[in-house]
Amino acid sequence: MKSRTVLTLAAIAGVTALVGCSGAQGDPAASGGEVTMTFWHNSTTGDGKAYWEDRVAAFEAANEGVTIEIQSIQNEDMDGRLQTAVNSGDMPDIFMARGGGKLADIVGAGAVRDLTDLISEDVSSDYGEGVFSAFTVEGAIYGMPVAVLPGGIFYSEDLFADAGIDGTPTTMSELDDAVGALEQSGVEPIALGGMAAWPAAHWYYFFALRECSQEVMESIASTLDFSDACWLAAGEDLAGLAATEPFNEGFLTTAAQEGAGSSAGLIANHQAGMELMGGWNVGVIGGLTPDQQPLPDLGWFPFPEVEGGAGSPSAMMGGVDGYSCANDAPTACEAFLNFIASPESQAGYAEAFDTIPASSEAQTAVEDPALEPLVAAYESADYVVVWLDTLLGQNIGNSLNTAVVELLAGNGTPQGIVDAVTTAAQRG
Amino acid sequence: MTTSILPARPALRRPNRRVAAWGSPVVYLCSIVLIAICMGPVIYIILGGFRTNSQITTSPSGFPSPWVATNYLEVLASGSFWQTMGNSAVVGIATAVGVVALGLMASFVLARYEFVGNGAMYALFAAGLMFPVTVAITPLYLLVRNLGLTNTLAGVILPQIAFALPVTIIILVPFLRAIPVELEEAAAIDGASRLGFFFRMVVPLSLPGVITTGILAFVGSWNGYMLPLFILNDPNLYTLPLGVQNFSSQYSVDTARVMAFTALSTVPALVFFSIFERRIVGGLTGAIKG
Amino acid sequence: MSTAAASVAPVRQGSAEPEVDAQASAPAPRGPRRGRTDWRKRAEILLLAGPAVGVFVFFVIVPVLMAAFYGFFRWNGFGAPTDFVGLQNYVTILGDSTFRDAVAHNLFIVVASLALQGPLAVLFALLLNQRIRGRSIIRVLIFVPYVISEVVVGTGWSLMLQDRGAVNDLLSSVGLDALRNSWIADPQIALWTLMVIITWKYIGFAVILMLAGLQSIPDELYEAASIDGASFWQMQRSITLPLLGPTIRIWAFLSIIGSLQLFDLVNIIWGQYVSATAGTSTMATYMYLNGHMAGSYGYGNAVAVVLFIISLAIALGYQRFVLRRDTEGALTGMAGSSTKEPRP
Repeated sequence: MKSRTVLTLAAIAGVTALVGCSGAQGDPAASGGEVTMTFWHNSTTGDGKAYWEDRVAAFEAANEGVTIEIQSIQNEDMDGRLQTAVNSGDMPDIFMARGGGKLADIVGAGAVRDLTDLISEDVSSDYGEGVFSAFTVEGAIYGMPVAVLPGGIFYSEDLFADAGIDGTPTTMSELDDAVGALEQSGVEPIALGGMAAWPAAHWYYFFALRECSQEVMESIASTLDFSDACWLAAGEDLAGLAATEPFNEGFLTTAAQEGAGSSAGLIANHQAGMELMGGWNVGVIGGLTPDQQPLPDLGWFPFPEVEGGAGSPSAMMGGVDGYSCANDAPTACEAFLNFIASPESQAGYAEAFDTIPASSEAQTAVEDPALEPLVAAYESADYVVVWLDTLLGQNIGNSLNTAVVELLAGNGTPQGIVDAVTTAAQRG
Repeated sequence: MTTSILPARPALRRPNRRVAAWGSPVVYLCSIVLIAICMGPVIYIILGGFRTNSQITTSPSGFPSPWVATNYLEVLASGSFWQTMGNSAVVGIATAVGVVALGLMASFVLARYEFVGNGAMYALFAAGLMFPVTVAITPLYLLVRNLGLTNTLAGVILPQIAFALPVTIIILVPFLRAIPVELEEAAAIDGASRLGFFFRMVVPLSLPGVITTGILAFVGSWNGYMLPLFILNDPNLYTLPLGVQNFSSQYSVDTARVMAFTALSTVPALVFFSIFERRIVGGLTGAIKG
Repeated sequence: MSTAAASVAPVRQGSAEPEVDAQASAPAPRGPRRGRTDWRKRAEILLLAGPAVGVFVFFVIVPVLMAAFYGFFRWNGFGAPTDFVGLQNYVTILGDSTFRDAVAHNLFIVVASLALQGPLAVLFALLLNQRIRGRSIIRVLIFVPYVISEVVVGTGWSLMLQDRGAVNDLLSSVGLDALRNSWIADPQIALWTLMVIITWKYIGFAVILMLAGLQSIPDELYEAASIDGASFWQMQRSITLPLLGPTIRIWAFLSIIGSLQLFDLVNIIWGQYVSATAGTSTMATYMYLNGHMAGSYGYGNAVAVVLFIISLAIALGYQRFVLRRDTEGALTGMAGSSTKEPRP
């Protein structure tokens, strides 16, 4: 029927029009100084998004002919998008890198630029060496850090005072006492977002940090040998802690930071006393308080000392956020990375994200009282290790996290944790 | 079933609706129970949009106190909400039209043509239902990219049409089989070809079935998240489900805002459904008559 | 059955029984023109079914085959897969007790969905089939859960069912403290919680489907039966249920496939890790946990293939033994459809 043919033709025309409506995509530079780059970050909202827009504008103003197109991708979706990008050859020029095993995978695919010789003098002296270790793969640096996110125990000073706790726990037995006191006073002692597994696993990571010597911790990523007794001891420590039932009711199904009802929400609303979490928690908690302002009585203390542990009591574990260049990106890419690593940009980052910048010069300018103890502890730490699951790579990290949840759910044993990671390591 | 009833029969019944009476209390009681169960969680979500995250944490089952309108208001006021809704509408309607057109033609062939590959073709479509989409997304992205359709709405519409075809065909094939042979013979006697029979008689007769599958395809497209997520880069092209990203920051999610957003974004799909609801019931009638 | 009759008609044109029809007033000429009508038929098939098949094969079948291909590798997801391991992934999958648990959960969900939703849907459809005022609104409202995206359904239910969530809170506030439970985390209860949520989401769809089926049952049958003195329930048993058969069987088919593929609801409410400890893991969550989350995409794709094969086997079995008489055996009907008996 004629109308049908017309419809079909209209459909074809429509499809063609839609194809024409494509959004813009960046291309690497042609000759002549005109450069366009794509930039992927994971701040989809608020001050963080504004910060990046501001930095890009400043860079573009200082560098004639360079244009940067920003795309903000939600955190959870970032990994999937990056993976597809690598496999299709559509890499974004500048992208957020997570370090550790995930970065190693992308490097292995040949998609990341080696930055070792491209980092400016100013930046390397400002940053020091240690912080780059999170982005070092086989001796070469593949990312520029922008923030350090050490972990420790956030607590409510008010709730501690109400429970009659003096000061902050420095040993595990003091922590147990604090747990008991909080319970007496009617609040949940420790908030735990067990549903995502990693918050629970963080307790194991820190026990391992305290139990295992520096040498073991720093070599585990390459040896993948878990026969050292410290790994089992860490599991037993965790089982011991869990036996005192310090976590909030229903911790297995509590989300970590996803809005209402999460463990961060419990802290923000004074329903729990403590939470072991990374440095970003300040901002997260701030968004969940009744007035959506930062929690005024939020304090922090480092993970307590474990008796008999071979690890240093001042050692810290944390994450590092950073950005990398694609292998085929224009040279303006590393210029941009050095730009955002400058003290000025870093100071702005610290403020926008309410976090600790990687630049030591900018660190001194951190004003948030909740962050000051973290900065102090970070600077005086004997050594700093990246999160254990990032360090070990996704395969082993995933098995580790699963085994910890099983233990806390009553289905597993400390030996089970060691067995799980050993099996995963063998499976490679 | 020897009484092959014409699909037109429901139309004959329609005048009776004008004298629809009140039903017995039992019916209404059961309906209220069913509706309460169905709508309960939905109302929880709608009310959640009127609260803050703090309220939800401290008083999980309480009513909003105070009622916070900012979530809904800010969503409605944000230009991106309407833009994404427009994109979703375009994608949804295009998907529905495409699925219906292609699905109807293919179902006609499967239902009324006898040829060697008939069973295999039907099996091909049915098999497509059984593979999880999330796994196929990476190779699919590569294909779309090779066509040059990344970051276009067409790059979302075409795969969506493809994935909606199996259900459409499963529903339409029995329906088209039910069209009596006598009609086809009559058309042939009048000199119409098979194609003519299709365009002139089958298409109008199958309108209810077409609307059913069209609505199902539209609803599926409206809620689709994975495909637009991977194909679209330009925020101006985002569809509604992607808009949820605006309410999650790097580390956290604004739950109350997400609830408000979702409540609002469900409204158009519901409106669409309620407009065509009567036709749906009529449409599936044909699918069932063996 | 009209289906058999319908398929006789096309055969008449491309004829296998020229003698029978030569004398009848068959519209299509026989003999020398047979070649041409054969081509014409093929052209029509190509024209009508071609676009759908083309689009489908390109955007669905090809990616699926590619994804299945990756199942023979150990692959971290980046770059081209290089580590060929043959059937090793499949061996691991079948030997993994957590996978077998997931399969058991899926089968439970399949059966429980059919058992819970089927009778409920038929019952409610019967009640709502009467031509009463407000029928439209009621139908729209019970369809709402189906329209809302699964992601938000999961978030909302999760908030309601957490230990500190709305349901427990409500129970406490009306003094029913004893009924507080760990709805999500307790392995004894969790699977039933999941069934409640699934039923909630899909009951409306089932009801609408059954309603449609009821529409096609002629009123005269009921009138005749009531004249004969049959009670309401007797009428349902002898008229409604048998004639509703085809509807129920198609709905069951869609329900089975959906139950086997279940992922979004479990993933959002339980998360990948807790779903295993709570006993609600499905094959799809297992695939996600051990594939995507572990960075082992070859393994994940292999699980997808296993999921596909299981679904296919069940679908084939279902088609053969249940649906054959309704839709002429969609998947197994190739042989059946060419041996038609001409119907009077």
